[in-house]
Amino acid sequence: MSTKHSKAAAEFLENKKQAAWHDETLWMVREKRDQLSKKVPEWEELRNMACATKLYSNSHLDELLVEFERNARANGAHVYWAKDADEYCNIVYNILNQHGVKHFIKSKSMLAEECELNPFLQNKGIEVVESDLGERILQLMHLKPSHIVLPAIHIKREQVGELFEKEMGTEKGNYDPTYLTHAARKNLRQRFIHAQAAMTGTNFAVASTGEVVVCTNEGNADMGTSQPKLQIAAFGIEKIVPDRESLGVFIRMLARSATGQPVTTYTSHYRKPREGGELHIIIVDNGRSNILANPKHIKALNCIRCGACMNTCPVYRRSGGYSYTYFIPGPIGINLGMLKAPLHYHDNVSACSLCYSCSLVCPVKVDLAEQIYLWRQDLDKLGKANCMKKVMSGGMKFMMNRPQVFNMALSWAPQVNKMPRFLIYNGLNGWGKGREMPNFADESFNEMWKKGKVK
Amino acid sequence: MKVGLFIPCYINAVYPHVGIASYKLLKSLGVDVDYPLDQTCCGQPMANAGFEKEAVELARRFDRQFEDYDYIVGPSASCVVFVRDNHGRLLKEDRHRCASESKIYDICEFVHDVVRPTSLKARFPHKVSLQNSCHGVRLMKLSSASELNIPYFSKLRNLLSLVEGVEVVEPERQDECCGFGGMFAVEEDAVSIQMGHDKAMHHIATGAEYIVGADSSCLMHLSGIIARDKLPVQTLHIVEILAAGL
Amino acid sequence: MSSREDILQNIRRATYMKYEKPDLKPLEDVALSYPDRLEQFFLVMKQVGGEAVLLAKREDVNDFISRNYPEAMRVASNLEFVTCATCNPDRVEDPSELDGTDLAVIAGKIGVAENGAVWIEQDVKQRAIYFIAEKLIILLDRNHIVNNMHEAYKLIDTGKYGFGTFISGPSKTADIEQALVMGAHGSRSVVVALI
Repeated sequence: MSTKHSKAAAEFLENKKQAAWHDETLWMVREKRDQLSKKVPEWEELRNMACATKLYSNSHLDELLVEFERNARANGAHVYWAKDADEYCNIVYNILNQHGVKHFIKSKSMLAEECELNPFLQNKGIEVVESDLGERILQLMHLKPSHIVLPAIHIKREQVGELFEKEMGTEKGNYDPTYLTHAARKNLRQRFIHAQAAMTGTNFAVASTGEVVVCTNEGNADMGTSQPKLQIAAFGIEKIVPDRESLGVFIRMLARSATGQPVTTYTSHYRKPREGGELHIIIVDNGRSNILANPKHIKALNCIRCGACMNTCPVYRRSGGYSYTYFIPGPIGINLGMLKAPLHYHDNVSACSLCYSCSLVCPVKVDLAEQIYLWRQDLDKLGKANCMKKVMSGGMKFMMNRPQVFNMALSWAPQVNKMPRFLIYNGLNGWGKGREMPNFADESFNEMWKKGKVK
Repeated sequence: MKVGLFIPCYINAVYPHVGIASYKLLKSLGVDVDYPLDQTCCGQPMANAGFEKEAVELARRFDRQFEDYDYIVGPSASCVVFVRDNHGRLLKEDRHRCASESKIYDICEFVHDVVRPTSLKARFPHKVSLQNSCHGVRLMKLSSASELNIPYFSKLRNLLSLVEGVEVVEPERQDECCGFGGMFAVEEDAVSIQMGHDKAMHHIATGAEYIVGADSSCLMHLSGIIARDKLPVQTLHIVEILAAGL
Repeated sequence: MSSREDILQNIRRATYMKYEKPDLKPLEDVALSYPDRLEQFFLVMKQVGGEAVLLAKREDVNDFISRNYPEAMRVASNLEFVTCATCNPDRVEDPSELDGTDLAVIAGKIGVAENGAVWIEQDVKQRAIYFIAEKLIILLDRNHIVNNMHEAYKLIDTGKYGFGTFISGPSKTADIEQALVMGAHGSRSVVVALI
């Protein structure tokens, strides 16, 4: 019995070279994060304050969202509320439709991924162009992101070269990342200029000013929102921070945690619509408020989507984003998937050795591993427990509660050492696929103690 | 000071010599140590697999078994920290408060923090690479976790500094998981094996003859990899070095 | 009931425990600071792929441009002392006209020593100029460099245009195999000229 994740992971690992590259490259990002965080002596205190601020803001969401709305309206923005993905998609569509928009440019938004905005709009005849380079590559390949910050980390330069040759007319066989990036710059520049509306996600929404803050390295959010006069921004309710002082705490941690940079190249604060333009802001729930009622998992709402838990996760690095069944992979994705729909996304709960590295790397102290442990306890109730693990656990319980049975097993165990290999090393034994079984001792410690051999 | 020696199930069955070394080490340090008979398991394997309730009766048994001791000391950071962090919660319905959680120590932690010897008789003229186990590092704080911005420390290194002749190194990715993770090792066998292989190679790259740690579970996993791939390194529990020559 | 009321009611119903707002003062008091902020700013600008230079007075920027950007044909700025400017972004109706700008000269308000970010409070009609120019020079008062973001956030605002951005070095991406490339969509080079 194995999960969808474990099967997909095994396939991922079959391409040894690519799998090793994936692991080493993401580990390098983790190392850059370590170097940067260690240059900040107050790092651990920053984590404490970031966590405390999120616990405050997520327990005062009603007040802070209303404060944000009031300030944003006073700034001249239109504010909308969307209960779910469907309502969010419809609000975006209606705004675009009322303005007769056919060409629409977007910067990266995990909320749009979550709500499947692009297919929704495309079905209604609106052309959507992703402007983040990684997202654009994936859009042209008809693929989904495999990492929330480094969406195309699983794509090789040769694939990008062949794609751009077809889509942008680049030189055949030129796979140089600088050449390819600059080709995309040129190509997308025209898309920015001809777009009739631009949309961004939101890293932080500041209640006290009614502004939305967007962080990018490429400048794609700003290229988009400084060309067409119609701007849309959307955010999940947990993106709210009370004020700019609090914002400072998160901005100091986001890029250091995400990519090992001291800050992203652009940290843009959108407060008012452009002169003669319009700014539309959509506040989205889509299941988040239900998490508030779940004290064991409430800290999942602290997440600022930096991706550090993915980069550090030894399982993610060796299994790739597509091995997970939820659109967000890695430790935070395991948890968010279970909070979204446990019966759909339980396959990811196996993807954790409980090493706890994610919990310590997290800048906002989401107790990621602790929460995965708790989900495992719930799987049996959901009827999704692994049968083999259940039988093994039940068997162990029976034996371990009966020392005489345990001692009997201990005395028989050495016989296993002498069994023919094919009985031990076969398809049923996951351990034996790449590892030798441990040899049982001729005499257990219990036995030796009773015989007075321990001196 | 009465110490009850806690020998986890798999050490009992596979590595009894680690239990013996633990007993000898504590004795040699003048500790009054005894072994409560008929120990089995702390319940961690079931709990980590998602069957915590199967561990409740074991936690109760465990608490009773060690009720007469001032300290419980065992040679396995992972099992010890499971008792410390979880038995109290598992037994919260019981009338008696779980006593184990506040008096249980990993043997390295106990020797380092409580006994605090200034010298040992051990001699071990070899190069060893530290296997910093996840639960030892991140839950028990036997050493500083690489993720945190805190000053470097390693209780294992401090203890080994009392051993004559030993050279201590740490692998690249000093505390990355070895891929054991209990039933994770079989449920996610492909990833687990890859993690184990990578970990073993990082240890080998240091040029060490031995991989040394405070958790026999990681060492058991790495031994399985080493034996299958015939890799040029061996594993040893740290108490086997601290008790060398006793 | 409206979605707004629905969401707010759901939030109120689900909120069991209220946490206090933390006091950030103790953190701000111990936050990263530098004995020589200017020196650190020079250092960090290099790390983020940009460069900092010292100019005696703001008018010197014209000389600096003619020496260092001889190939720049279209120079955009709305600063009156940038006499070599060929285009004023205040007088541009459609921001797409700014495409093809070789160099833009803009004013920064606050520099941050810990990360090389410079706060730009929009003071030009077309903010596109901050992003669309191939190369960017940001003029900054050398006495306006603070230690860290906590200090910066106490000083900045978004002004009459309601927009501001921290810019830290040139636009960059590593989306193709994590190879770092300067000049993704925004400026390919950023020089902070400290006056």
